[in-house]
Amino acid sequence: MAPTLLEEVPPPRLTPVGGVKEALQRRSARPGGRAYTVVRWSGAVLFAAIVVALVVSLLASSSQAFAHSGLSFFWSGTYNAAKDIYPTGVFILGTLITTAVAIILAVPIGVGTAAFLSEFAPRWLATPLSVAIDLIAAVPSIVVGLWGLLVLQPIFTRHVEPFMKKIPVLEWFFHGPALGPSMFLAGTVLAVMILPTIVALSRTSMSAVAVEDREAARALGATRWQVVTTAVVPGARTGIEAAVTLGIGRAMGETIAVAMVIGNNYALPHSLLSPGATLGSAIINNFGEASPGLDRASVIGLVVVLLVLSALVNVGGQLLMRARSRVVGATT
Amino acid sequence: MSSTVYAIDPDAAGAIGARRDLVRESARRSLVRRRLLGRAAIVLCVVAVAVSLAPLVALVAYTTSRGIHALSWTFLTHIPTPPGIPGGGVSNAIVGTVIIVGVAVAMAVPVGIMAALFLVERTGRIASALRFAADVLTGVPSIAVGAFAVAVFVDPFDHYSGLVGSFALATLMLPIVIRANEAAMRSVPRDLWEAGLALGVRRSRVVRSVVLRGALPGLVTGNLLAVSRAVGETAPLLFTIFGSGFLVANPTQPMQALPLTIFTDGTSAQPSSQLIAWGSAFVLLVLVLVLSVVARVVSARLNRQAR
Amino acid sequence: MQRGAVRRARDLRSGPDTRRRPLPAVSALALSLAAVALVAAACGSSTPAAAKKKANSTTTTTATTVPTITSTTTASAAPGTTTTAAKPVVHTPTPAATTSSTACSSSGGALSTTCDTKSPSLQVNGAGANSIQPFFTRVFYYYNQANHGVSVNYSPAGSSVGVSDIEQGTVNFGDSEIPIPAPATGTSGNILQVPVDLGGVALSYNLPGVNGGLKLDGPTLAGIFLGTIKTWNNPAIAALNPGVNLPSTTIVPVHRADSSGPGYDLDQYLIDTGGSAWTSSKAGTTPSTKWPITTVGVGEQLNTGVAGYIQQTPGAIGYVEYAYALQASFTNAALKNQAGSFVTPSQSSIAAAGAQASGLSASNFNIVNGPGAGTYPLANFSWTLVYQKQSNTTLGVVLGKLLDWVTTTGQQQAAALGYSPLPANVVSLAHQTLLGLENSAGKPLFS
Repeated sequence: MAPTLLEEVPPPRLTPVGGVKEALQRRSARPGGRAYTVVRWSGAVLFAAIVVALVVSLLASSSQAFAHSGLSFFWSGTYNAAKDIYPTGVFILGTLITTAVAIILAVPIGVGTAAFLSEFAPRWLATPLSVAIDLIAAVPSIVVGLWGLLVLQPIFTRHVEPFMKKIPVLEWFFHGPALGPSMFLAGTVLAVMILPTIVALSRTSMSAVAVEDREAARALGATRWQVVTTAVVPGARTGIEAAVTLGIGRAMGETIAVAMVIGNNYALPHSLLSPGATLGSAIINNFGEASPGLDRASVIGLVVVLLVLSALVNVGGQLLMRARSRVVGATT
Repeated sequence: MSSTVYAIDPDAAGAIGARRDLVRESARRSLVRRRLLGRAAIVLCVVAVAVSLAPLVALVAYTTSRGIHALSWTFLTHIPTPPGIPGGGVSNAIVGTVIIVGVAVAMAVPVGIMAALFLVERTGRIASALRFAADVLTGVPSIAVGAFAVAVFVDPFDHYSGLVGSFALATLMLPIVIRANEAAMRSVPRDLWEAGLALGVRRSRVVRSVVLRGALPGLVTGNLLAVSRAVGETAPLLFTIFGSGFLVANPTQPMQALPLTIFTDGTSAQPSSQLIAWGSAFVLLVLVLVLSVVARVVSARLNRQAR
Repeated sequence: MQRGAVRRARDLRSGPDTRRRPLPAVSALALSLAAVALVAAACGSSTPAAAKKKANSTTTTTATTVPTITSTTTASAAPGTTTTAAKPVVHTPTPAATTSSTACSSSGGALSTTCDTKSPSLQVNGAGANSIQPFFTRVFYYYNQANHGVSVNYSPAGSSVGVSDIEQGTVNFGDSEIPIPAPATGTSGNILQVPVDLGGVALSYNLPGVNGGLKLDGPTLAGIFLGTIKTWNNPAIAALNPGVNLPSTTIVPVHRADSSGPGYDLDQYLIDTGGSAWTSSKAGTTPSTKWPITTVGVGEQLNTGVAGYIQQTPGAIGYVEYAYALQASFTNAALKNQAGSFVTPSQSSIAAAGAQASGLSASNFNIVNGPGAGTYPLANFSWTLVYQKQSNTTLGVVLGKLLDWVTTTGQQQAAALGYSPLPANVVSLAHQTLLGLENSAGKPLFS
């Protein structure tokens, strides 16, 4: 019989089913979910296997060099006890300098280009332009190197570098004679090579910023440019960071193109105009003719040094990003 | 309640009006300033675009000017002849490049997408470690990847082949594919994911229908970037595919590829060889351009139909 | 149910779904690509040897003329210009009356006389120095034309790769600018080293207003490359070149950043003649393919890099292969040779350097700074490496005949490319070395 008003109606049973996570676990426990999990994990495992195999192979091939010189290989590797020393420290410095020049040149230009292509350019213009910029990535590095050597180098030696010397603040970086190949030229060639990466990935992330965020900024009175700086770029930040990271990686690992325009001088560079050497250029110069044994092990040792340097730069970059985001988070 | 009427002081009214005018004026000035800054910034962006395009124009113009004279039907369909002997071409290199890069893409892109899916969904230590590994690995010089492929596949079997070259290229492409695809997938708004999941849709289905489709332009761009890079790489191929003067379409045999031709002929003393090298560089650019355009057209059509 | 749910989720976002199946476009593209790949595979692996196999129903014809030891005369009469693909005049194979397939190993027939290779489509693989690649490509092409059935594939991955590949047996022959130091052995035993090519190293410079043939010697070159002589009008250079108006341009010495045979030659020359300034520097007293002075001047990649830099930098001087300098029409220095005369590089002066080689062998291969009034001091041979013991007799015979042809009739191709033909004594050395080829049982393949 129906309960009267004064009778207590027992509350409906609420069996605890847990939160979203449990619900999803039940979902992925289904057969389709398991297959998907297998797919994801197999991709990750394959990649991890290749990474491990590569690292192990490199370490094994270079073990002889490290056994010979110990940790001092990282700043002055011994290539041949009788003849030659690899000034690894000079190479590291060269790599860092050329990469820095490349990033300083490529990131503002690349992000600016990406902003234009994703925000301001009409569709019929943006697509051909992005196709065109991506084409730079397809030019073989030896062609870029030859172009840098035969076309860019004379222009730089005769016009650009004297011009840079006249700028008051930068003068200190650009002192000394312009022999032709230089760290600055190498950095510029590297900037050309990493530009497509930065533009393409930044553009993807910028286009993907939600339209509501832009409209919110607009509603608050932002001009078109301010929409970009306040809504789009912060929203695309992870993508831009990925783009810059990939660009740094490519710049540090480039071999042939750098070797053709950097001058391969193993003395400590004293200005951006002096020829120098990077890890990449040293590797490509010595790899082909390195006889098996200590020679070849030393060249592979340089590769290991490059990987360690790359890892350090990446860690440093990530710490920097995390510190910045913490600051940004604190001030909003 | 009292019914006192307070008369408004005329001075106060003026002050309020003056204050209102002050606010309006400063707002207008701010808008003018912001608009001006904005326009200047946009102009700078246009300059940036021009600067980005300049090297491309220069590179393409230079390659074309040096290589266009080599182009002919013979050039595209015949195998090479020695320097000084006319009638040669680079058909073996073109076929080799297409096959080697095709196999490399077939190796790298699926694995890359699968690994990117892993990274997108998980945030644990494993995912961070893999992401870090991918970032560091983009810095591996291509020649080291070639040496790795030689150590693993050539030395034990004493046999060079196009497959080894494809493996080297795939290893080179993999970190870029993973990171670029992850960035593209992450750019799909989170609430789309959650909407799908909340509706009780299986996770794999959500990924397939919502995420992959939504991220398709970004995926295509990222993968094209990796493929473009792989097509032009010389060092890994030099030590793995051995090269061949003949048209070889079997990837388990030594083959020829365009970057190899460019390297060998471009560094030769004979002007005829150098011409062939620049012609090959031109053909390479055209190939990548065609691939790029086709991929984008297909992706745009898929995208439009998905809306 | 789920498809509908996904559709509803998307509708919430961006309107109703009117998509058609995009499959036709994608699958059409995929099908066309697959069709192209199939067509390529169908025509695939078409070597000229295979094509000729279809053409010639019989086995290969024999070569006729026994290459004589004194083949310098025929070699130096080289037409050697970039004319059409005419076959070399001397070596036309005439079908012998008896194309009997006598096995070479048992009859002990001489190299390349009545021997039948019996292998219509034999492919030979080699790897080695980058510099010899144009010569090899040309020579092997003509050999294939003359001796249908043997096609050679050469990979110019570098001397070091050539050496390690032949030592491991990955290729049939290797090539290196510097021979393997004794003992030359690999996994299959002893390695024979055969000189196949003679080239020189030019010191090219870019000095507007100064003609070619600027005289330089060991001490001045050492000073230039060590950085102690900094301008072109330095007294040491002026003393060697009276009457030449030398500008005060800064000298920029260019070296090869990668390892190179030319660098080895110049290093050897400077060790011999450059005085204590060179030998007490980092260069030491042992020559090396890696240029030892890396802190002075500029290093460029390969001949191309050095040549490109010299071409656009007034005041630059560097070393390039003579074949390269010839094609690029560089101005070259005249170097002081052992006899005291200043000689510019040319095909004849380099040939003279080769002819002066006495007691040449793989362990005594240095011909830098050789004797003779007209000898150019910077010259070197290129050495081909094959195993002495050939497990496959047919392949061994093919290799022997190939290399013998390269060192004799093939030398006609050298001049067209800027090399010098092998002198008579070196041809006989090559011949003698090739006679050492034996089969797996140790029996000589030729006599």
